[in-house]
Amino acid sequence: MSSTTMSRSSLWGVDSRVIVYSAIGAALYGVLLVFQILVPGTTAVQARPAFALVPFFGFAFGPIVGFFTGFVGNAIGDQISGWGLLTSWNWSIANGLVGLIAGLAPLYLASIMSRSLAYRAIAGALAGVVGVIIGFLFVFTDMILQGYDFNAVLTTEYVPVVIGDLVATIILVPILVYAWEPLKDRMGR
Amino acid sequence: MNFTPRYLGRGSWLARRDPRLLVLAIFCFVFSAIQVWDARLMLVLVAIAFLYYRSAGIPFREVRRQWTFAIVFISLIVIGNGLISSGRLRGVEPDVLHLYGYVPVLGTPISAESVMFAAAQFMRFMAMVAVGFPLAFAIAPNDFGVTFARLGVPYRFAFALDLTFRFVPSLSADYRTTIDAQRVRGLELDRGPGGIFSRLRRQAPILVPTVINAIVGAEDTIDAMDLRAFGTGERTWLRELRFDRTDRLVLAGFVVLLVVVTIAGFTTTTAQVWVPDFILPR
Repeated sequence: MSSTTMSRSSLWGVDSRVIVYSAIGAALYGVLLVFQILVPGTTAVQARPAFALVPFFGFAFGPIVGFFTGFVGNAIGDQISGWGLLTSWNWSIANGLVGLIAGLAPLYLASIMSRSLAYRAIAGALAGVVGVIIGFLFVFTDMILQGYDFNAVLTTEYVPVVIGDLVATIILVPILVYAWEPLKDRMGR
Repeated sequence: MNFTPRYLGRGSWLARRDPRLLVLAIFCFVFSAIQVWDARLMLVLVAIAFLYYRSAGIPFREVRRQWTFAIVFISLIVIGNGLISSGRLRGVEPDVLHLYGYVPVLGTPISAESVMFAAAQFMRFMAMVAVGFPLAFAIAPNDFGVTFARLGVPYRFAFALDLTFRFVPSLSADYRTTIDAQRVRGLELDRGPGGIFSRLRRQAPILVPTVINAIVGAEDTIDAMDLRAFGTGERTWLRELRFDRTDRLVLAGFVVLLVVVTIAGFTTTTAQVWVPDFILPR
């Protein structure tokens, strides 16, 4: 199953490979989420290196794997930290949407993905950027769930998390694509 | 940090319940709590949450770190939101606020209403965290898959959840091994020159081998599942789950709570911030 040759129907297929990659992605994301780096010059913007796994798993293995990695992985990370599996369930959905949108890259980045490895690495980063910017719009549900006003959600939630995660996505997703794609070809995937 | 699933509530009253109850209880409670801003009703919800938490028999010394994180994080959210929102409260007109004063430099107004809003928000998060703990510590790790399958999650995704919880300890061990191996080779994760981009790039020698090894290692699991014809027909779990009378009663209690809170939200003032007279500025 190549990310560059996925048809519309194969994007949504659920076989043993999708199940196992989903579980691996979610477990890795949940475990690695505890390590965060404060962006210099800010007090609230954290870059989460592990976040790159969400768009990467979506981009490499499809939207279902991407959604599961973000949704379940974020919930497990919250649980490991003590925040609770479902306390911020809307944030878990937002993470899942990032992976799902990145996984739909064959639909909107097909021309880049059919080129060389360097272009596919760039496509991975682009898919992640699109996923982060659109997927995290779901955190505006905190206006209903937590009673925050628009400015509070925008300045304390959406902007900090998008900046931190964009930095991690732009740097680490291409590296992961570079590492995975040649291996995938050798494995006949 | 210990990532291994810990069945800390083993043998407790809550751990003897059908694990589906623990999932459904959280749903009912979370959707009840997010409708309440009246601190009096929120206090009742906090009491229910901690009674429920206590029934899980989770030793505090084992989860002290998680509770510390939760309290610090909740405090930061409540304070941050209070400062950033500039004292604006949904459903409260700015000209009816009972002001105490303003935060120096920021100029954020502090009012009786914003204090009670913050108090209700703090209690809400504390209650939700307390109800969430038993899901992690009072369900046998092997029961997660069957629990979600019996709750109607398609068996493929229930199996994926099961696998996720099984992968967590082994992948965290792989991650630690990779860190140790790279440190032996001289990699400095915590120190070194450069800004955020350099620091993130330095994570690559850790992240890439851990992720790629996990993906390649997953082939064995995929082969094993394919050999057992996974996906060709509905799968079953050996473990049988049954709601007993106590489970039904507890679940009914949480459903009633959700219904009552929802109705109260439409017919009374429980969805609005309550301000007691004694905190109004003289």
